[in-house]
Amino acid sequence: MKKRWPITILYRAFSSSTTSTTASFPLKHVKKSNFDSALSSLRHHVQAADFVAIDLEMTGITSAPWRDSFEFDRFDVRYLKVKDSAEKFAVIQFGVSPFRWDPLKQSFITHPHNFFIFQRQELPLDGAAYEFLCQTTSMDFLAKYQFDFNACIHEGVSYLSREQEDKALKHVNSTYEDESLDSWHSLKEIRDTHLFNIPDILFAERMKDRLSEWLGGLLRNRDGGSEVQPSFNDSKQQFETIFFKMRPAISLNGFTSHQLLLIQLVVRKHFKDLAYLRVSGENSCSQNVIVYIESESDKKMLMKEVKDEQKIDAEMSIKASIGFRHVIDLLSSEKKLIVGHNCFLDIAHIYSKFFGPLPLTAEEFISSVNKYFPHIIDTKILLNSNSILQQRMKKSSTSLSKAFSVLCPQIALGSKSTHLALQPSVKVEVEVDDIRSSNWNSGVKHEAGYDAFMTGCVFAQACSHLGIDFKQQSSSENLAHNEKLREHVNLLYLSWTNGEIINLSTGNRTSESLASNKRKNHYPKILFECIVIVWGFPSHLKAWDIRECISKVYGPTSVISVYHVDETAVFVQFSRAEMVSKFLDLKGSLDRNNDPISVLHPLAKLLEGGNTCAASYETYKEICSSTVSKVLFADQAKAVGIKWKTKLVESSDKTKEHESLRKVKAVNSDPSCGERTKNKNFDDVSNDSSYSQLSSDEIIDSFYTREAKQI
Amino acid sequence: MVPKFKPSPLRIRSFCTKTVQQNPHHWPIKQITKTNFNESLSEIKNHISSSDFIAVSLQNTGSFSSPWHRVSTFDTPETAYLKAKFAAERFQILQFAICPFKLQASKVIAYPYNFHLFPRDELKMGMPSYSFTCQTSYLTAMAKEGFDFNTCIYDGISYLSEAQESTVKVRMGNPMAVDHATKSSSSPALSVADTVFIERVRSRVKHWKNACTDSDIKTEAALVTSLRKIVLGGEQFGSRPSMTIDVCSERQVQLVLKMLEDFSDVLVPLIIPAKGGGTQAVRAVLTSSDEDKDLLKRELQTFEFEQNKRVRGFREVIDLISASQKPLVAHNSLNDFTFIHSKFLAPLPPNMNEFICSLRLAFPQVIDVNYLLKDIGPVKKMTNISATIAYLKNRFFAPIEMEIPNQANENEGKIHGHNVVKICQLFGKLCSILKITPDAIESSDDFLASAINRYANIFYSLPGSSQEPTNEEIRGWTNDKRKVSCEDVVFLWGFRERISAGILKNMLQGSHEVFAEAFNVRMVDRSCAIVVFGKPGLSNTFKNVMNSKAVSGPLREMVSDGLKAAGYETYQRVCSSGLWESALADALDKTLASHNCLSEAAYETKQSEIYLSNELINLAEL
Repeated sequence: MKKRWPITILYRAFSSSTTSTTASFPLKHVKKSNFDSALSSLRHHVQAADFVAIDLEMTGITSAPWRDSFEFDRFDVRYLKVKDSAEKFAVIQFGVSPFRWDPLKQSFITHPHNFFIFQRQELPLDGAAYEFLCQTTSMDFLAKYQFDFNACIHEGVSYLSREQEDKALKHVNSTYEDESLDSWHSLKEIRDTHLFNIPDILFAERMKDRLSEWLGGLLRNRDGGSEVQPSFNDSKQQFETIFFKMRPAISLNGFTSHQLLLIQLVVRKHFKDLAYLRVSGENSCSQNVIVYIESESDKKMLMKEVKDEQKIDAEMSIKASIGFRHVIDLLSSEKKLIVGHNCFLDIAHIYSKFFGPLPLTAEEFISSVNKYFPHIIDTKILLNSNSILQQRMKKSSTSLSKAFSVLCPQIALGSKSTHLALQPSVKVEVEVDDIRSSNWNSGVKHEAGYDAFMTGCVFAQACSHLGIDFKQQSSSENLAHNEKLREHVNLLYLSWTNGEIINLSTGNRTSESLASNKRKNHYPKILFECIVIVWGFPSHLKAWDIRECISKVYGPTSVISVYHVDETAVFVQFSRAEMVSKFLDLKGSLDRNNDPISVLHPLAKLLEGGNTCAASYETYKEICSSTVSKVLFADQAKAVGIKWKTKLVESSDKTKEHESLRKVKAVNSDPSCGERTKNKNFDDVSNDSSYSQLSSDEIIDSFYTREAKQI
Repeated sequence: MVPKFKPSPLRIRSFCTKTVQQNPHHWPIKQITKTNFNESLSEIKNHISSSDFIAVSLQNTGSFSSPWHRVSTFDTPETAYLKAKFAAERFQILQFAICPFKLQASKVIAYPYNFHLFPRDELKMGMPSYSFTCQTSYLTAMAKEGFDFNTCIYDGISYLSEAQESTVKVRMGNPMAVDHATKSSSSPALSVADTVFIERVRSRVKHWKNACTDSDIKTEAALVTSLRKIVLGGEQFGSRPSMTIDVCSERQVQLVLKMLEDFSDVLVPLIIPAKGGGTQAVRAVLTSSDEDKDLLKRELQTFEFEQNKRVRGFREVIDLISASQKPLVAHNSLNDFTFIHSKFLAPLPPNMNEFICSLRLAFPQVIDVNYLLKDIGPVKKMTNISATIAYLKNRFFAPIEMEIPNQANENEGKIHGHNVVKICQLFGKLCSILKITPDAIESSDDFLASAINRYANIFYSLPGSSQEPTNEEIRGWTNDKRKVSCEDVVFLWGFRERISAGILKNMLQGSHEVFAEAFNVRMVDRSCAIVVFGKPGLSNTFKNVMNSKAVSGPLREMVSDGLKAAGYETYQRVCSSGLWESALADALDKTLASHNCLSEAAYETKQSEIYLSNELINLAEL
């Protein structure tokens, strides 16, 4: 089906009056109805492409506020958060835009495709129902950009992941292996239960008569060669003589399921040369037939024939439900350079939706992604890590739409504006359904197809700024191997918040260096072993109160920062790692002792209410790995099944820990030292040599952090 | 280009005074979205107050995620509630149909409305819900009925629950007028610091006030005005000049308020609450006269009223229903009212009793048509209303005329919410068969009340509960309609997948002597089965055998292959601890594992009884 597309002409005609009609960007929208044809044309485009830009729209990003990306995310925790997001939310739109350099036109040709996808439960798989989460703010956001939810849910293309396909095929295999066994059993039960009542017995007798009549007629017919005389005209509709697999048969229509069971029973019991079969007909409705068979071996053959056919049917329907995954398989098998913008989450979504469950660790994930997609480029990293491009970007934000308008103004505005032509720019033409154009109005932002197109344009322009000359580039050479790009390939932002970059081909993690000057909150390097997570404290306590409270015990510089995870939980970053175990030990002993001294203890303010829990960073990771997502962190910890209040760390340095424990005990056993505890601990800290080694920068930073948090 | 939804501002209505419709597809059900919500409220209010009953029906985004999450016949009221709670907390209501109706002889006069809801985080506080779950099968089914998701998401009505509204009020930080309660009566003893603070603020206020009222400087340049503003700390509150005085403690609030009394002729003090409680600042607003002062106070009141109304959204309707105290009629009341409670009242309490108490405060009478059905006779529990209506039609002569005088918005393509009218119809039929209402309504309210009370507020009842358990034990096995004590139920798992109940039963039969007596096996899901022992005490023997070293013979073989068993109390613990794994076997394993670490208070299982019936588990259905 070719879509005629008169918009360019229309646009020219009304260019004075129309300013920004949303209908003006040529995008190929793909739904259920045109998926097959779109896939076959896309196949050619991808095969010919130099690179393929992609973009995804999801129903949400974070399943709970505390799962948001923080500065305090260690890379494994960051992965767990991405994993949670990819597992819970659905992808509802997938933009694919293959870009090909056309040496004749000296420009890129791209075919932006906008797929609406929606996974339906098309196969009778066992177990849990397909479900996905929607984040209300994301849905609102999509609605703001006029996302067409009807197109997605009513006509979206469904899909199966590789893992789901394997499972379904295995299921089919096992079903057809021991089906005979199962049906025999169910039959036996029927015999036991139902043939006791009179109506059933009478019905069975009647059926027996009719079947023998039919069989008799059939045999006579074969011997005598005369016409088949259906003697039971009254039930012609119910007993329809047909041919089934070259054998005479009766198709049973209009019986209740109970009656069918009785007929099945009669056939089994009284007719050796008849076989009862239940087969799925053309329109997926099942058909019940009684087939005449010549011998036991003929029966076996028939059964096998039917079974094989059913198995093939079942396998066909599984193949048919692969749907949109064909596009992913295509991208993976062609090994083209994939271009995305800040696309770590996108890749995780692709993995979990189209390949299989996400691995438990980031390392495993990275190595398998690299297998499926050997070359990925992230334009956000490209723009931030290269000084030439940074200059080009004039230090503006690297959001996709901003990058697009800064780097490709001539594309963003269509070719209408000629005054920009002086700037060296890569030309891009759009082709949809064999209609090419280089004139258009801007598309709808956050429509996956248009976003993919913008990403591709940004990448093409960035390449030209890096000095890649597409005219010199031979079409056979993979762009990913270009030496000017090599250092940027397969780098993804693990977390944009703290600028951690992961290399998909090596698994190495690096922190962003070039762009760091852009970041406003430049934190000191976070040592995760110095972090304690505290939750369930009285709700009126703010970061500053908690800091003050702990500082009273361990000295004013013991706490580097206090960071709110959400309103019910904070990270407390200590200046030294051993303070973590000291703090947890102390808290543990305060939890146990409910005497007046503990009440007077400076930490009592934090422990008020008796629900305050504390643990090391590892516990935070554990909580993040749970599949549950409660809105508040404190509720989440409860839901994960944490029943203790303090989890002590098993320190590698046992003696130190014992010492501190003893100290705490001594303090608590002495009833007159409420005030002294404070002083003593304070002294401990200030006498400590490592404390004085803290550079003044770090201290200032720590105050800065605190203040930033307060504001 | 994709056709985008655009709400039509023009709605052509046909004002028909009387429509008698028997064809459900032509029932004029008024569809309400954000655009026509406010204008419809007063009309709905009238219909509610003049009705006898209000039928409700919900369209949610899902119900149960795994076969065993469904409320089933082996559930006690408590576990059934926990299952319903789990669903209500995760899924979302997209359509809420209400139908105030009157019963007159064999006529039902109904005013059906169907509200399209969508939770919108308008205040950016993660309310009414941060996220919600959708089941694709539910959305696909809705799509088949022609549901317009764009209308729903673009134009659905948002809401806040009662509990959320009260937290929002604190956190929104709207300026509040000072009432007498916030002013402390006793004048505090002033310390030096207090005096200094007061005097400093007083002089600032005085300067600012003078500057504002000074007519000489009205004509100065814009730059000077803005500079002056910066210097004096003045700002605008609406059209009036105002000044914010920062405070550090509640004591300072009192001091400032006391001081401002000296200027009470023209200044109105407002309190700016801090996020998370307390006071952030006091704002003094300058008014020109006493009339202006009253006007400001009224403005503040209407502002608050309007804002509350906007924040409440659809809950306005719930409040109307609750205030009317009319009996509500529902079809699947446990499911519907757990949703209603969690979305519009407050988070669901941890157990059934608290839930019923809490719900009764808002809705004193809830009648489940399924429960009325039980009085008619041994009707199987029907999940489908249309099927039930058809069934009753064949059995009883109780014609019910449906009159729907509503003004439907005709030009809307698709009409949703038929179920609510069907519930009215079914209820009318049932009342006429059971001879509960029609004439009684006019004659005496007391009679009606007592008749209705018999049926009200039973949220979870089991099929056939009006029947006494029979003595015929054996018949009980084949027909499966008898009471079973939880004590006699054992959950079994760890066998190979895709086994049938029959095979499992056969395997068990020869494995141990406890299975020599009558027992029954049902599959709960693919991973787990329940075994019901006919003779009391055998279940304990079996559990003990399973846990002892003495286990021998074929049973030992099965245990070695991974077979596990647990009593009903473990299942209850699964439900209450919220371990909603997709396979019951995994949930049971996890519960046992966590239970071994920590012994908890014993669960009461003795009184609770469950029913087993034929429809208990039908694997083909699952």
